[in-house]
Amino acid sequence: MPLAEIFSKHPEHRYIMFGGKGGLGKTTFSAATAYYLARKGHRVLIFSVDPQASLSDIFEQDIFGQGKVELMENLFACEVDADRRIHEYQDQIRRKILDMYGMSEIPEEIESYIRAASAEPAMEESAIFDAVVDIVVEGGFDYYIYDLVPLGHALYYLSMGAIYDAWLEKITGLREQMRQYDEAISTMKRQGQTSEDQIYQELLDIKNRIGASSRIMTDPKRTAFYFVLTPEEMIIEDTRKAAHLFSQYRVPINGYVVNRVISRGLLEQNIPEYLRHRIDMQRGALESIRTAFGDRVLAYVPEFDSEIKGWAAIKSLAEVMYEESLP
Amino acid sequence: MTENDDKNKKRGGLLGFFKEFTYGMATHGMARQALKTRSSMEHLFILITMGDMLGVPILPPYYSMRLLPYVVPQITTWKRRMLRERDMIESLY
Repeated sequence: MPLAEIFSKHPEHRYIMFGGKGGLGKTTFSAATAYYLARKGHRVLIFSVDPQASLSDIFEQDIFGQGKVELMENLFACEVDADRRIHEYQDQIRRKILDMYGMSEIPEEIESYIRAASAEPAMEESAIFDAVVDIVVEGGFDYYIYDLVPLGHALYYLSMGAIYDAWLEKITGLREQMRQYDEAISTMKRQGQTSEDQIYQELLDIKNRIGASSRIMTDPKRTAFYFVLTPEEMIIEDTRKAAHLFSQYRVPINGYVVNRVISRGLLEQNIPEYLRHRIDMQRGALESIRTAFGDRVLAYVPEFDSEIKGWAAIKSLAEVMYEESLP
Repeated sequence: MTENDDKNKKRGGLLGFFKEFTYGMATHGMARQALKTRSSMEHLFILITMGDMLGVPILPPYYSMRLLPYVVPQITTWKRRMLRERDMIESLY
């Protein structure tokens, strides 16, 4: 089934993700899809969850850390500035501590913890994860296109939801138990009602935020995940493994898009041996793709003679992907 | 009037004393034990949320930081308790 048909048949798919190894064309496919859907009259938001985001490069406009930027009619893009978000978050925590206890400065050990925690590599990913929750929960768009990070990171990103969930499950349980103890103690001492546990409330809030995000990622009704691959044996093998892992996280895989297919028609021309070999290699690989993924391959996108960058290139890629000429 | 008041006071005082007495006999020990368990739980809770403060890396710092303001007053006693040396005699109590 062609890609365009899937989109018209499943308007309920609101969260679109392209995943795959690095450098295969996730960002270009995301951009082309965003362009296509926006031209069809839908309100589209494309956003990057990659700390080294490249949306600014492909759209040739600096959007880093500027919130949702309108690039053309119906098309918005967003690149999260994780560093700034972490700084703002830290300041928020500091202010809360100062306010809560009427302190004039943060105690040394608390301050050093705040600084050390922010230096953790997981911090940046978590900050982006949290930002995405904000973006998605806020709503206001017909389509959300995730420009995902390369496979390994994407798996980490997906599993983070599950890890957070399990972690929170445990500590909310403990907190609830603590609350019961508080109640028992105040009954024994014949004191009045215990005060509401603010930590418990915070935990529930965190749980809801994470729950919302992982529910979306694994919702087969609203989410469509597409794998990007190229006709090379090693990449096919990796994609197959990744698809297996993703399905274990219950990510709904909708299909595969093959990128960088060199036109077979070139063989009839006078072309160098090098190109002849590459076309030959691709023929074998395309055969493997057909056996591995069959009719789940939704599109074969040819190798372009120039880099996909800027509106004209995005438009022509979208036209090839969705087999339709666009304004 | 004054006699009545005195009586009431006495009765209240007696009742109060009786209440305190039974509380002391029956539930004080329980309440004390419950408070002790409750504070152990508090320390366990800080350990699983802020463990990296003691060098025990625990996921994920982004969200645990949100809980930091609430445990600020307990941090010092918690650290002392977690890091202090334990001896045999202690386990007798």
